[in-house]
Amino acid sequence: MTVYSLLPLLALVTPFFTGALCLFTYPFDFLESFFRKIEKIVLLLGTGLTLLIILLMVPYILTDQILETPAFSLRADSLNMVGAIGTALIFFLASIYNVRAERGGRLKPSLYNFFILLFLICMLGLLFSYDLFGIFLFVELTIGVSIVLVIHAPGKLSPEAAFKYLIITAISALFVLLAVLMVFVITRNSNILAILDNSAPLLENPRLIMLIVICFVIGLGADIGLVPFHGWVPDVLPASTPIINVFFTAEPIALVLTLYKLIYPFYTTYPSQTLIWILLGIGFISVVFGALLAYPQRDFYRMFAYCSIEEFGHMILPLALFTPLGLTAGQFYIVNVSLMKAGLVACLGSVFINAGTRNMDSLGGLVGKMRTTALSYIICALSIAGVPPLSGFYAKLLIYTAIYEFMLQKNGIFTSVLTVMFLACMSIVSLVYLIRSFHAIFLGEPVGTFKDLREVPFLMYLPTIIISGLALLLGIQPDILLSIAG
Amino acid sequence: MEIAVLVSLTISVFFTALGSLSLTSKRTIIFLALQAASIGFVELMYCLINLIIGLHMEALIDFLATFIEWFTCAVVIPLIIYWGIRRTEDIFEQPIVDGKKAIVLSIALAILCLIIGELSSSAIPESLETLPFVAFMFASSCILMIYRKDPPKILAGLNMAENAFYPLLAESPLNLIPFMLALMVFVNIVGVFITIEAYREYGTTLISKWRWIEQ
Repeated sequence: MTVYSLLPLLALVTPFFTGALCLFTYPFDFLESFFRKIEKIVLLLGTGLTLLIILLMVPYILTDQILETPAFSLRADSLNMVGAIGTALIFFLASIYNVRAERGGRLKPSLYNFFILLFLICMLGLLFSYDLFGIFLFVELTIGVSIVLVIHAPGKLSPEAAFKYLIITAISALFVLLAVLMVFVITRNSNILAILDNSAPLLENPRLIMLIVICFVIGLGADIGLVPFHGWVPDVLPASTPIINVFFTAEPIALVLTLYKLIYPFYTTYPSQTLIWILLGIGFISVVFGALLAYPQRDFYRMFAYCSIEEFGHMILPLALFTPLGLTAGQFYIVNVSLMKAGLVACLGSVFINAGTRNMDSLGGLVGKMRTTALSYIICALSIAGVPPLSGFYAKLLIYTAIYEFMLQKNGIFTSVLTVMFLACMSIVSLVYLIRSFHAIFLGEPVGTFKDLREVPFLMYLPTIIISGLALLLGIQPDILLSIAG
Repeated sequence: MEIAVLVSLTISVFFTALGSLSLTSKRTIIFLALQAASIGFVELMYCLINLIIGLHMEALIDFLATFIEWFTCAVVIPLIIYWGIRRTEDIFEQPIVDGKKAIVLSIALAILCLIIGELSSSAIPESLETLPFVAFMFASSCILMIYRKDPPKILAGLNMAENAFYPLLAESPLNLIPFMLALMVFVNIVGVFITIEAYREYGTTLISKWRWIEQ
């Protein structure tokens, strides 16, 4: 049942007004000096309120209601609710981490807060919007904002990484624009649901449907970081500040679910097997490429970047099946892995802030100095690798079941077993490199220069404890998320 | 397709090809401005004629929106990139083809695009008849971005690629235009900001030298 509600709009307006308030202080020096005292509290307030508004929508979704703000083509339903909760939660936890981790950069605090909150608006806008032009605007805005956040990092690495990121993603946004314009010119409609209701003009040109879908895959695939459009990922993560990297872990939630939202109507209109195999192919290549390249890395952020590429591949796989189980598994996996990645990258950020290096060869023996960080790191790593009883195990089990059932139906038992075995092998590879990184950073003999290190402040390890707790909770009780995902 | 639109698109293809073969960043920006001016000129004239004939509010809004769009693409954005060059350096880069050969090649490419556009008109829906021109300009701009090594030229290429969509974009809803333009300007400002910051860090805008300086 569809219900008129302003809650989806309010979820976008709240961070916007908080961000605008931050921006207002920018030109005035006397306000700027006052704002520096409350900057981190304001960010925490903005993200916290947004999370609260999103949680207010949950009871409606649990009773099978769809919240809609028709004037802005915004809609909160079981497809985007889990993603919205995950995104808002990551932003809130990252804001807690930000209180002690943010040490300044190229942007003034007011501008920094504004862009962080704008980034949150983009993510939620992508999730809630059902208008093609709206989605394009949010994609383009996401690119602009994330590039500004990359360039915020002081040092020589960030300008090059930011420029590479700008060019790859800006070209990809043009592919999204091309696809959106083609759909609009043919159907004279930009609302995804209306297009789904009246798809006759599209059916006249099946080849054009494929072209549109390919444009969406290239466009959003490059923004997500799927192979072969991943070029920016290994450069951007080491170049950004540790805190920005935590915020970035929420980005794939919105982008992957948006890609599904954009492709699904065209698949329903013209159910092409080629489309499924293209998406599955991209997913499998990303998994293999990411896992194999993460293994030899010595810079832990580059290892994490390739680990992310592997996970992007895993995220695409269940959604590419276009089955109900695939959708549920995909939603659960995307949110779970993004949360775990947030925990992992926050721990790595703490190590980087404390030790001042990303090179795993020059680290070691930190477990005695940073017990809580080490514990959180290993829990998140094991969850990503899919070790029971953590949430990652259930997420991977759901994905394997969805893929097994699909392959069994299409290609028989041999291919289905082989595919699941192959994915399990890839999970073992990720387990190996994550355990190896834990060993290199936290175990062994303490390195001389790090003997006086201490655990990071409470507010920096609190988010990682919460995420580790969630890994355990969702592993034992996955229904908490699954009931919302429908 | 109307003859005026056809001529305008062919001229735009010519300027896009010239832009991708030009020697200096300043010249690339001039061709970017000319490409944007020519691609939106016919639409702007149609709106002006509608305004003069109709003299009603809707035509006025339509004209103003088109004019702002045209002015932003042809004047504001080239000026933003030019400002970036003033703050950094104008790199002279030898393209694959130079001098008179470049002009001849650009004319040949424009004529080729015109022929392909005419031949393919029966294969694609009428509403997408400008697609071959769009695809050609987009491809030329992407080539410009791939083989050039300094950010202002790459940014100009990015804008040329975005301008290439103008024939399709002209049919988009009117309320979208302010947001689209604001985002285009924002992305260009971000691009110029990165270029200036990179110049400050590395002392050059040549991308090929950036990584070596880091190491």
